[in-house]
Amino acid sequence: MKMVSAALALMLAGTWPTLAQEVAKAPPPGAFKAVSSLVKLPDFLPGMGQLFVDPATLPAGPFLAYDHDGKLVSTIYMLPIKDLNPNKRFDDLASPGGNVDHVSVYYNAGHPGVEEPHVHVVLWHVAKADEARVAK
Amino acid sequence: MLFFPQARATGNDIIDVEMHGKDDGAHVWFDPAGIHVEPGQTVRWTNRDPGNSHTVTSYHPDVFDRPLRIPANAKPWNSDYLLPGQSFSVTLTVPGVYDYYCVPHEHAGMVGRIVVGTPQPVAPSAVDPSLTPLPDVALNGFPPVDEIIAKGIVRRV
Ligand SMILES: [Cu+2]
Repeated sequence: MKMVSAALALMLAGTWPTLAQEVAKAPPPGAFKAVSSLVKLPDFLPGMGQLFVDPATLPAGPFLAYDHDGKLVSTIYMLPIKDLNPNKRFDDLASPGGNVDHVSVYYNAGHPGVEEPHVHVVLWHVAKADEARVAK
Repeated sequence: MLFFPQARATGNDIIDVEMHGKDDGAHVWFDPAGIHVEPGQTVRWTNRDPGNSHTVTSYHPDVFDRPLRIPANAKPWNSDYLLPGQSFSVTLTVPGVYDYYCVPHEHAGMVGRIVVGTPQPVAPSAVDPSLTPLPDVALNGFPPVDEIIAKGIVRRV
């Protein structure tokens, strides 16, 4: 009952939460799970933050990365090097995080969850200086 | 001991090897990558990489169907994932050459080698097609046995 009236109130106000608003704070809704609950990894990864992913989208993601205050800082795609070839493509990857300030692309040797060399494509939703929020 | 006057990893019952990684995860490695120990000494691996999990896993048919790269009568091991700060130890009693790898990082060349005592040369065993062979990047990552025996410790940093 409470949920219905809340939804009704939102409708009357004409402000359904956008996708970006839904994932702006950790934990993101729906099928997203903390990566540290799926595989044995530290909960907070220096340089990335606290990661959430829908296991069905592995390995590419999107992974949603949050700072220590639970604020979304980036959306990360993890693309295995061996899949970057003429016969494979990644299409229609979801990007629920909203505005992108800048993008980083770099090699990663692998980690539990994506256990092979891959590329991180990072859509930063914060300014360059705010990358420091997930540095450690 | 006098036979091995150099930086040989002796004089202590526990020999430490650390797992390391660069901040962005681009490079991962065991340090040292090669060590020479006495039979009966214990090797302890500790994950010193704050941003990743690592394993130390022996090459053995009983562990993930891999080729045998430890002495035939030695016991295989697999640490499973070690979180930052966690350790795993193995005591090595059988002389010989022991090759090991990190499960998520074998394809990034994260491998190591231990020489226990003075190993006898071993004839390479026939290739068993049911076992998963090593990728080149792993094969190229083992320090040569001679170099490990000569130096005691071989680092790849
Ligand atoms: Cu590793």
